[in-house]
Amino acid sequence: MSFLELRGIRKTYPGVLANDDISLHVEAGEIHGLVGENGAGKSTLMKLLYGMEQPDAGEIRLNGKRVMIANPQDAIRLGIGMVHQHFQLVPSLTVAENIALGAEPRYGPFLNRFRLRRQVQALSEQFGLQVDPNALVSDLPVGLQQRVEILKMLYRNARLLILDEPSAVLTPQEVESLFGVLRRLVAGGCTAIFITHKLYEIMALCTRATVLRRGRVVGTVQTVDTTPSEIARLMVGHEVEAPVITEAPADGRRRPRLEVRNLQITSGSRRATQIDLTVFGGEILGIAGVEGNGQQELVEALIGVADGVSGEVLLDGESITRVPTRTRRERGLALIPEDRQTEGLSKAMAIWENLSAGDYYQQAQGLGVLPLGQMRAMAAGLLNRFDIRATDERVGVGTLSGGNAQKVVIARELMRDPSVLVAVQPTRGLDIGAAGFVQEQLLRLRGAGVGVLLISADLDELLALSDRIAVLFNGRIVAQFPRAAATREQIGLAMAGKTMSENIL
Amino acid sequence: MKSLAPIIRTVLTILLALLVGGIIMQLSGKDALNAYGVLLNSAFGNPRAIANTLLTATPLIFTGLATLIAFRAGIFNVGVEGSLYVGAFAAAWVGFTFTGLPALPLIGLCFSAGALVGGLWGLIPGYLKARLRVDEIVTTIMLNYVAILFTDYLVTGPFFVPGMANAMSAQVAEQAQLPRLVERSQLNASFILALVSVIVVAWLLRRTTLGYEVKTIGSNPLFARWMGMPVARTILLVMFISGLLGGLAGAGQVLGVHYRFVSGFSRGLGFDGIVVALLGRNSPLGALLAALFLGALRNGSSTMEMFTQIPRDLIDIVIALVIFFVAVEISFGWLKRRTIAAATPEAEQKGQADGLA
Amino acid sequence: MDSLDLIVNIAAATLRLGTPLILAAMAGLLSLQVGQVNIGLEGLMLAGAFTVVAVGFATQSVLVGLLAAIVVGMLLAAVFTLVVTRLKANLIIAGLALNLLVSGGTAYLLSVLFGTSGTFSPPDLESLPSLYIPGLSDLPVLGRLLFSFSPLVYMSWLAVPLVAIFLYRTVPGLHIRAIGQNEEAARSVGIPVRARQYLALMLGGALCGLAGAHLAVGDLALFREDMTAGRGFIALAAVYFAAGRPGFSALACLLFGLFEAVQFRLQLASSTPPQFFQMLPYLMVVVTLALISARKEWRKGWS
Repeated sequence: MSFLELRGIRKTYPGVLANDDISLHVEAGEIHGLVGENGAGKSTLMKLLYGMEQPDAGEIRLNGKRVMIANPQDAIRLGIGMVHQHFQLVPSLTVAENIALGAEPRYGPFLNRFRLRRQVQALSEQFGLQVDPNALVSDLPVGLQQRVEILKMLYRNARLLILDEPSAVLTPQEVESLFGVLRRLVAGGCTAIFITHKLYEIMALCTRATVLRRGRVVGTVQTVDTTPSEIARLMVGHEVEAPVITEAPADGRRRPRLEVRNLQITSGSRRATQIDLTVFGGEILGIAGVEGNGQQELVEALIGVADGVSGEVLLDGESITRVPTRTRRERGLALIPEDRQTEGLSKAMAIWENLSAGDYYQQAQGLGVLPLGQMRAMAAGLLNRFDIRATDERVGVGTLSGGNAQKVVIARELMRDPSVLVAVQPTRGLDIGAAGFVQEQLLRLRGAGVGVLLISADLDELLALSDRIAVLFNGRIVAQFPRAAATREQIGLAMAGKTMSENIL
Repeated sequence: MKSLAPIIRTVLTILLALLVGGIIMQLSGKDALNAYGVLLNSAFGNPRAIANTLLTATPLIFTGLATLIAFRAGIFNVGVEGSLYVGAFAAAWVGFTFTGLPALPLIGLCFSAGALVGGLWGLIPGYLKARLRVDEIVTTIMLNYVAILFTDYLVTGPFFVPGMANAMSAQVAEQAQLPRLVERSQLNASFILALVSVIVVAWLLRRTTLGYEVKTIGSNPLFARWMGMPVARTILLVMFISGLLGGLAGAGQVLGVHYRFVSGFSRGLGFDGIVVALLGRNSPLGALLAALFLGALRNGSSTMEMFTQIPRDLIDIVIALVIFFVAVEISFGWLKRRTIAAATPEAEQKGQADGLA
Repeated sequence: MDSLDLIVNIAAATLRLGTPLILAAMAGLLSLQVGQVNIGLEGLMLAGAFTVVAVGFATQSVLVGLLAAIVVGMLLAAVFTLVVTRLKANLIIAGLALNLLVSGGTAYLLSVLFGTSGTFSPPDLESLPSLYIPGLSDLPVLGRLLFSFSPLVYMSWLAVPLVAIFLYRTVPGLHIRAIGQNEEAARSVGIPVRARQYLALMLGGALCGLAGAHLAVGDLALFREDMTAGRGFIALAAVYFAAGRPGFSALACLLFGLFEAVQFRLQLASSTPPQFFQMLPYLMVVVTLALISARKEWRKGWS
C-alpha cells in the first residue's frame, strides 16, 4: 500500500486540460520527483493535493484511505505541507509569527509570545534548521526565507512535504544545503514530493520521479535505473538536440555594439551591482547566473527604466546612459523581456496594437491622428512574416498561446532591424517548436551582425547558443568564458561565487 | 458595438435596482407603480420634461467624461468635483468681471477660464501621481474638500456680495448667460457643448496617439514604461483633460443655470460622474446614455416628490443600488476573464493592471 | 472670560470634537490593516447618528438607541464586507455607494417615519448624560477637562489602546495584519480570511456607529441630514497622516478636533477665515503624502 496514491486525476480550466487521468504512487519515506516542462501540469496537480483547487474527477488516497481535500486546512490536518514557489510569508511579521501563523499558541485571545518563541526554537534545534525567531522576515535572505517555509510545514507536523520548484531562487550552495535538509527530514520519517524541471536535481535527490507532459503522466522512473537524457526525452517527447551553430563571423567584422562600463545600480533596497561587459556585433554573449543576482537590474538599466544608475552604457560607441527609453529604442536597442505578459505585452490589447507599441508615435499624422488601417495592415504582414498563428490582427494578445505571444514580442522588436538585442529567458515556458523558432531568430540576428545579449538561467541553452558566456553573481560579472573553454562545472562554480582569479575580467 | 451583452446586463442591473427601490416604497406604504409612473412622466412626458432631463444630464455628461478618461488610463480620479468647483468659480469670476466684452468672446473666455482652472486643479494630484507616485485616490478625495471650502471662502470673503441670503458671487454679465434652447426650461447651450465633448473625447480615445497611450498605460503601465512611452506626461495630460472637463461642467452650470457662483452648488455632480462612467462602462457614448438615465431619475424625482409625497432621496437609494450592482457585476465579468487567464499555462499572477472595466 | 478659561474651553471642545474622529479613525485603521480601506466611514457614521436618534426616540431610551446604532453600523459594515470581498466589487466605488445609500436612506426614512426633512430633534429625547463625579468634576480646571464629558468621549479614549492591543497582541489581530499584507499567505495556512475581514470591518462598523451616535446625542439630541459633514474622510485623513499607527492616528484626530474648536471661536473673534481651518486636515494629508513620497524619490535619485 502506497503512502500517497493518486488515481485518475483530471482537472480542466476553461479551454485548458491541465491534468488528464493522472495516477501516481508515492511510497513512505521517499523523495519523489515530479518533473515536466512549464505548463505540463505539475503545479495544478500540487494545488489539487493541497486543497487549493478541486479535481473534476479521480481520487486521492492517503495510507490507503480515500481523502477529500477541500481546502488547505484539510491538507494540513492530513499532514500535508507545501512550500510554494512564491513564498507565502508576511514580510512585516517575525520569523516565529510566520512559522506559527494560523496555529499560534495562545492564552485566551492573546498570542503567547513566550511559548511561541520556545516552540520555534525547539523545532529549529530538532531539525537543525537555525533561524532567529525574532527577526523580521523582510530582513531575511531568500535561502533563510525558504527555511522559514520549511519550518512552517514542520510546525504543523506535516508528514508529506511538497516543494514546488524550491531551487529556482537558490544558489548552488543553498540548493546543496536544502538537499541535506530534505534528506534528514526523510530519514526522520517524512515523505517528500519535489517539483522541478532541473534534471540533475532529480538524479541527485530523488528515489523515483514521475514525468508529466501536457497534463499527462508519461512515465515513472527509478533514478538509479535511468539517465538524465532518458528523463529529458520523456519530458519533451523527442530527443533534445542543440541547434546547429554556425561558425562565428570573422574577427575583422567584430566591433563592439553594446558596451557597459562600471554600471552600478543602487536604488532602494536593491543590491548594488557593478557590471562591465561588451557585446560585439555578430556574437551572442550569454549571461549565466542564478536568478536574482542582478539580471533584472541589468536589463532595467540597459533599457532605461531603473532609478539610481551610474556608470556608462554605449550603443555603437555612443553613450545612451542618460537617454530615455524611447530614444534608446530608436537608436537600435531591442528587448525580449523575461516576463512577456507584464513587460513585453499588454494582454488586454489586440495583436496589432501590441505590434505598434514601438513606433505608433512615428506613424501619427497631424494632430496626433493614427492611421489605424495602415497600422492594422502592417500588423497583418508581420503575422505572416513571423508565423504568428491567430485568426487576424484584431485578436486579443491575451488569448494567444505562449509561443505565439512571444512571437508577437519578437516581431515587434525585430521589425526595425536592431543593432543590439537583449533577450531574457526568451524560450522559457515555450513548447519545443516555438523555442526552436526563437533560437533560430537569435542565430539569424547573430549572422546579420547584431549584438545579442542572452540572459538565461538555462545553462544548456546558453552552452548551445552563446559565443561567450559571462557569469553574473551578486551583481557582478565574476567570470567570462569563450564557448570552447566553458564547462558546466566551471560555470557552476562561478554561479556560486567561487571564482578563480584568472577568470575575472 | 462589439456585443449587446454588456448593454443588456446594464439594463438588467438598473431594473433590479428600480425593483428594490419599488419594494422599499411599498414597504413604507407608498404606491411604487404610481410613483415610477409619475417619475417617468415628469422625466419624459412632454417636451419641457425632456428638456429638463437633458438639463439635469448636462453636467453629468461632462463629469462622466472627465471620470472615464482618467479611468481609461488607470487613474482613479475621484477629484472631478473639485475641478468643477474651481472651474465654476473661475467662469463666474470672468463673467462678472469683464462685463464690457460682447457675448461670444465673453462666453468663450468664461468657458476657457473654467476649463483652464479646472485642468490646473486636476494637475495637482496628477503631478503628485506622475512624479512622486502618490496614490491619487486619497489626494483627489482630500482636494475635493479643499476646493469646496476654498471657493466658499472666496464668496464669503474677497468676493462677498452684501445682502445675499446664501454665500454666492455677483451675477455674471447678462451677455455671458447662455442662450436657452427650449421655452420654459433652463436647458441651455452648454448641453450642446457636452454633446460636442462626447464626440471629441471618443475621437481622442479612439484615433489619436494620446488615446493609444491612455489605453496602453491603463491596461499595463509597466509595459508602457518598458516600451518607452511617456507615462508621466500622459498621466499629467489625462489629469489635465479630466480636470478641464470638470471645469467645463462647473462653467456650464454657472453660465447656463445659476448665473453666478453659489457655494456648495454641486452637491455631488462630480461623484455622479463616477456613477456615469461606471454605468457607461467607460465608453463616451455609454457615458452619454448613462448621464441621460441619471438625469431622468434626478429630474423626475423632484416632480415625483411633489405629486406623490415620496421623498426624492429614494432616488439616491436607487442610484446607490445601481452602483453596487454594476460594481459587483463588472467584477464578476472581470473575475471570469481572470480565471481563464490563470488557467493558461504560463499566465503570470503578477502585474495585473486591470482598472475598472 | 479670562484666558485660562478660554484655553480650558477650547481644550474641552477639542476633546469633544475629536471623539467621533477618533472612533471613526480606529475603524478606518482596522480596515486599512486588513487591506480593505473603507471610505464608507462617513456613511456608517451617519447611519449611527440616525439610528441612535430614531431608536432612542421610539424606545424613549438613548441607551437602547446607542446599542441599535452599534448594531446598524455592524450590519452595514457586514454588507460592505460581503460586497467587496465575496462579490469583489471595487473598494472605492463600494465605499462611495455606501455613503450615498446611507445619505439617501436616512433622508428617506426621516421623511417617511417622522414626516420631516432637514433636522429631526425629538422633543423628549435626552442627550447622553455627562459624567459627574462629585468632587472630581467640580475641580476648577481638571474637572472640566477630564470629568465632564459624555461616556462616548471616554469610550473613544479607551478605543485607542484597545484597538492597538487587539491588532498587535491578539491572535485575530495578528491574522488581520497578515491578511492585509499577504492575503494569499494567510489563506494558505488556513486562516479564515473572510471571517477575519468581517471581524475587522464589523468592529469598524460598531466604532462608526458610536462615532455617529456621539455626533447625534453627545451634546444635543438631534439628527440632521448629512450631519457627518465629511468627518469620515477627516478620520481617514488622520489614519493616513499617522501612517496607520493607532496612537498617532488618535493624536491627529485631536489635532483636527482642535482646528474645528478653534475655528468656531475664531469665526467670532478674528479675521482668519474659518474655511482655512476646515481645509487644514485635508491639506495636511496631501502635503504629508507628497513629502513622504518626495523623500523616497529623492533618496532613489540621489544615490
